[in-house]
Amino acid sequence: MIENPWVWGAVSGLVVVNVFMGVAAWSIWFERKFAGRMQNRPGPTQVGPFGLLQPVADLLKLLQKEDITPKNADAVLFNIAPPLGLLTVLGGMAVFPWGPGAWVPADLDVGILFTLSIASLMTIPVWMAGWASNNKYALIGGMRAAAQAVSFEVPLLLSALVPIILGGSFKLGDIVAAQADGAWFALWPPGPGAVAFLLFLLCSLAEANRIPFDIPEAESELVAGITTEYIGMKFGLFYLAEYMHTLIGSFLGAALFLGGWDGPGPDGVHWLVAKGLGLFALIFWIRWSLLRYRADQFMSVCWKILVPVALCTVSAAAVWKVYA
Amino acid sequence: MIDWVLFVVLALVTLGGALKVVSAEDLVHVVLWLAVTLLGTAGFYAMLDAGFLAAIQVLLYTGGVITLMLFAVLLVRREGGHIPAGGVAEPARAGVVALATAALSGFAIVRGGLLEGEAYRLEPKALGQVLLGPLALPFEALSVLLLAAMVGAIVLARRKDA
Repeated sequence: MIENPWVWGAVSGLVVVNVFMGVAAWSIWFERKFAGRMQNRPGPTQVGPFGLLQPVADLLKLLQKEDITPKNADAVLFNIAPPLGLLTVLGGMAVFPWGPGAWVPADLDVGILFTLSIASLMTIPVWMAGWASNNKYALIGGMRAAAQAVSFEVPLLLSALVPIILGGSFKLGDIVAAQADGAWFALWPPGPGAVAFLLFLLCSLAEANRIPFDIPEAESELVAGITTEYIGMKFGLFYLAEYMHTLIGSFLGAALFLGGWDGPGPDGVHWLVAKGLGLFALIFWIRWSLLRYRADQFMSVCWKILVPVALCTVSAAAVWKVYA
Repeated sequence: MIDWVLFVVLALVTLGGALKVVSAEDLVHVVLWLAVTLLGTAGFYAMLDAGFLAAIQVLLYTGGVITLMLFAVLLVRREGGHIPAGGVAEPARAGVVALATAALSGFAIVRGGLLEGEAYRLEPKALGQVLLGPLALPFEALSVLLLAAMVGAIVLARRKDA
């Protein structure tokens, strides 16, 4: 029964999506605790032990709110943007290698390209929300999101090219397997892998609109950017999509550069989860430590520094692959 | 059976999207319907077992070109919340041209023998070897052409007083 591809697809999809949704919901609790500790305050404490039931309370609150579509908004686009955003984020997980062998929902030959292409679709719902709101702050946010996505796609894809070259495959499973026994691409070969890992991390921050690159949302300039007109669960879906995007970026970074499920002792999904969540926590740390870039600084960082560095890294990796 | 159902659904999505591209009244909707059509095409590639082509189609066309178009649309003047699209000025002539194109490509597909035999499965590796081997010169010539176009666009867009 499990051999049937439709059954396997449905079951693995259901498990992966639900686990990820749960992790994303509680990661909001974790981030609030984390941020609280960094700012010398306790964070959520009231709902449940250690405030652990806070995400449930937040969900109930969001669901109870009145559903408003602004009068002059483009109603269809305004309402389909949030679910579409979540959908594009969730789709990319289908090819993820959770462990050695059959621990992959769908082991596509072009897995890494599939994930990256689905992730690149995220811009469209974000832009749609900015446009359809018919609000100047949302519109500026949407415009920034499009500009940011077009620019940061370049170094992101180039940095992902380094593990593809080193691993010699587009298949995520093969890329992870090529790093078995501690030969992680972030460590070996020394140089290109580590630089590509840093670039990938930076570009994932930008792709998921996280500080220091959250200029489409920039609450100090744009109220709330693209989500200005959204309330209730529609806002909640965008918020969740943003967390999921960050979470998937962390797991992809762990698989591409940190050896995925490889680790000391028995290999398996626990190593991938540990590395992925570690990177995720690192992103929170960055978020609560740094300031936001200005939109123009951000563009010049991308085009004048990240793109040339990424091109050099790809060349270096290719030279290593051919001669070493 | 499932292949047929998938094919019909994809065909409806692709063609419906294409129809909306020429008939939608708002320029933004036109661009978004174009995205739907391009995704439908990617679906066909995936059905033909050309995963690489499908992924590249989504990455470059839907993720890249459509995003650029959306970005450009925002620079256009807006009238009361939406940008009117031009629409089809002469539906009769447009219809004739569209039918003629479809007939020509249909003829080419039937006569070229594309309906017989299996779909050719292109491995990314083979594609790379062809592009950097026998086709290296045309490939590089194309990149030089694109570079020239980019420099030209920058020169044209640059303000005289800057």
